[in-house]
Amino acid sequence: MIFLENIISIFSEHGIAFLKASWMTIAITAISLLFAMVIGLIFAGFKISTSKILNWIADIYIGIIRGTPLIVQIMFLYYGLANIVNLDSFTAGALALGVHTGAYIAEIFRGAVQSIDRGQMEAARSLGMPYSLAMRRIIFPQAFKRAIPSLANQFIIGLKDSSLVAYIAVTDLYNTALSVQGENYMPFETYFVVGVYYLIIVLIFTWVANRIEKKMDVSKPKEGIIV
Amino acid sequence: MIKISNLSKSFGKLEVLKNINLSVDEKEVVVLIGASGSGKSTLLRCLNFLEVAERGDIIIDSEKTDLAKTNLNKVREKVGMVFQHFNLFPHKTVIENITEAPIFVRKETKEAASSKAMALLKKVGLEDKANYYPEQLSGGQKQRVAIARALAMEPKVMLFDEPTSALDPELVGEVLQVMKDLARDGMTMVIVTHEMGFAKEVADRVIMLADGNIIEEGHPNDIFVNPIHERTKRFLNQIL
Repeated sequence: MIFLENIISIFSEHGIAFLKASWMTIAITAISLLFAMVIGLIFAGFKISTSKILNWIADIYIGIIRGTPLIVQIMFLYYGLANIVNLDSFTAGALALGVHTGAYIAEIFRGAVQSIDRGQMEAARSLGMPYSLAMRRIIFPQAFKRAIPSLANQFIIGLKDSSLVAYIAVTDLYNTALSVQGENYMPFETYFVVGVYYLIIVLIFTWVANRIEKKMDVSKPKEGIIV
Repeated sequence: MIKISNLSKSFGKLEVLKNINLSVDEKEVVVLIGASGSGKSTLLRCLNFLEVAERGDIIIDSEKTDLAKTNLNKVREKVGMVFQHFNLFPHKTVIENITEAPIFVRKETKEAASSKAMALLKKVGLEDKANYYPEQLSGGQKQRVAIARALAMEPKVMLFDEPTSALDPELVGEVLQVMKDLARDGMTMVIVTHEMGFAKEVADRVIMLADGNIIEEGHPNDIFVNPIHERTKRFLNQIL
């Protein structure tokens, strides 16, 4: 029962610190994901484009990001960019996470757009819609809906990956766990507690994502009648 | 209304259309027939530039299309198309499917586009389905919505690419009826179909394609009763 007692003592002593750190984790994840969505959209566009140069740029970016570890990317950005501009650790961390997740989101969007039946684009074009309008009004809304489950999955990965910014001194959940266990010499119990915090955040997010997915399922009758 | 001269189209090494010459008059209903692979669908798709021919000229509504200069979107506004697999937009309701292009391409007001859409839905007998999603409709209903959607752009010509081939047999009639009404109202139409009864009744001219060539054309009575070309005879024997 000593385990349980230790856990309770960690909660009572550091509960507030972990809560504050949760906020930091959520903030850095949210900002990085917003950034990643923008990058993902742009590079998905590059990959779908008929321009060889744009394809090539997207391939290089995705290739480098997928081919190197996230921790290396974080360190590279933090220490590399520090020579040029003065970046605080939060900004550098958010940037690195965004650039990293963006590459995966680009692939998710590309796959979703390409999975939409060719007839949809043909029908839109046959009505006189220019390519960009057809993409925006007809193809992308369908592709986005199809991408939601993969996006939600990628967001969860992003949230958990954000723990690596602890190594550039962002006071997130994981960083807080590192310092707490350094103080109390109870690594097992401390990592258990921080695990619970991560799990709760992920579970809340999953619930929200499921709600959104259900809400976006527009192919339900508006008046509740089936022919 | 349409004048095609010396049109050729290849997919890789396969020459699908070989030097096609064809005119369609205003209010004329032309039916294209031929075995699969004869080039009839490709010919139709060249008319609204979903396929781009390598050689030849296409004049629509007395405007010659020059790929380098012409805005193809403007040409496509004049040429409505109905597809074998309907291609309705599944994320939009029936009425949104119909008003989408008028609002965003022709810049009509939502009210004007909606009232026109309702009139078109009435014409195809689906005014009670305005707020349904495509997935809730039968194949025949979907195709009638697709026809209404094309008509909402007030095209000069309507192209039909095997509009009844994906339908259950009992649903073919309702779509053909809408097309007959359209022909009676004086719409210029080019139709690829295997519905020979419909062709006999509605077509002003039937054109037989084989291996990318027009091998025979004429009034349906002549083509169906006294085909001259051996391949036309064989084709008609197979499907009638």
